[in-house]
Amino acid sequence: MSIVIIGAGHAGLTLAREIRANSKTTEITIISRDVIRGYYKPNLSKALSMNKTPDQLIMKSAETIAQDLNAKLLSNVTVVDIDSERKEVRGLFNDNGNDSEESRIMTIPYHSLVLATGASPIQLPIERDSRTELLSINNLEDYEVFRRGVEQKKKVLIIGAGFVGCELASDLISNGYDVDMVDLCEWPLQRSMPEVMGTEIKKAMTEQGVKWHLGKTLTSVTTNQHKVKVACLSDGTEIQTDAIVSAVGLVPNTRLASEAGVIVQRGIEVDGLSQTNQADIYALGDCVEYKGVTLPFIMPATYAAKALAKTLTGTETTLALPVLPVAVKISACSTVVCPSLDKKGIWEVQGAGMNLEAHFINEEGFMSGFALTGQCITRKNQLVAECLPVFY
Amino acid sequence: MTFKKYCCVTCDLVYDEAEGWPDEGFSPGTKWDDIPDDWTCPECSASKSDFYLIA
Repeated sequence: MSIVIIGAGHAGLTLAREIRANSKTTEITIISRDVIRGYYKPNLSKALSMNKTPDQLIMKSAETIAQDLNAKLLSNVTVVDIDSERKEVRGLFNDNGNDSEESRIMTIPYHSLVLATGASPIQLPIERDSRTELLSINNLEDYEVFRRGVEQKKKVLIIGAGFVGCELASDLISNGYDVDMVDLCEWPLQRSMPEVMGTEIKKAMTEQGVKWHLGKTLTSVTTNQHKVKVACLSDGTEIQTDAIVSAVGLVPNTRLASEAGVIVQRGIEVDGLSQTNQADIYALGDCVEYKGVTLPFIMPATYAAKALAKTLTGTETTLALPVLPVAVKISACSTVVCPSLDKKGIWEVQGAGMNLEAHFINEEGFMSGFALTGQCITRKNQLVAECLPVFY
Repeated sequence: MTFKKYCCVTCDLVYDEAEGWPDEGFSPGTKWDDIPDDWTCPECSASKSDFYLIA
């Protein structure tokens, strides 16, 4: 039995670990277009506060992973296509400038193929010249670029006041940077909490020095003659800054899947067994959608990896996802959110000041999500028990 | 009384028996064995069995 995993992010590596825990003999091959390194992606938006360099975030090297998992790791290999009839993938060693394409190509056969291709940052249509970089942080390589870019610098502008944007703002402001936050939303984390709660977070972060530009978009960025970046907002405001980071969400990486005849909506469509419409092709992590929903978080990927590992090693296991509480690392205000997959409903809020507990009540009258701030975060486990499970 | 430490395989979070985890309802000194099997990592939601002994 040979299992090939495309992608070495949290989903791919966790799946490999779980397969190995269930089976000593299954052959595992992990292919990544980047250098394979084991790290915990949520740490990218809090590494300054952890006092860690990008290198220090690496928990396991490729060698350690290969040894621990008794797996074959192919770093720097880009999968070109998948032949679902012959059951093989074609990969290309990334160009080093010396070797011909023929010598860089390889064919890897599989019994089962797992797509763990992740997602890519959404690129907003922002006018800019070629020398003005717009960064996004979705993997360790991105983060290395970001850290080099802000070294010895003072000001960072962040587009997007969601999980990543808020955590990054908190990390930067706590470590001596000036931070400007731009988002079209009316309050931070708007999609996962009510206004009264978002307003408290905004207030707490403002006291630390974060400058908010909400209800606005970034229209253009340029670099002036002093090498300072100038960001122009939709209301005409101009902000001078040293670096601009876009954190406006992710779009699943689905090209390989759709070219192989796998059904793709926004993400790769999978059932409760993480199976696509193609025999022996599975998918999990940030690249998939379940019943029309993408869940680009660590926890669903962990659960999917565990269930799929069992299925692939002979014990068919349907994915059961409990509720999804996520701790958002905002130093000014402890925050836990548990986004509802039902979009229709109302918020019910209790508490005072920064200590708030908000329940999202869906149209059937059940709590399908919640958000907690301040001292109320200790209520998390209680609310997890009361909240509707996600599905299956 | 000796206390042990356990580390989460996914996110590296450490559970120190000496400190417990008051936010999770475990007072200082709570032994690893006394933590319920269905408890999950407060950082990344890995299961209790995903923690390994470090010290």
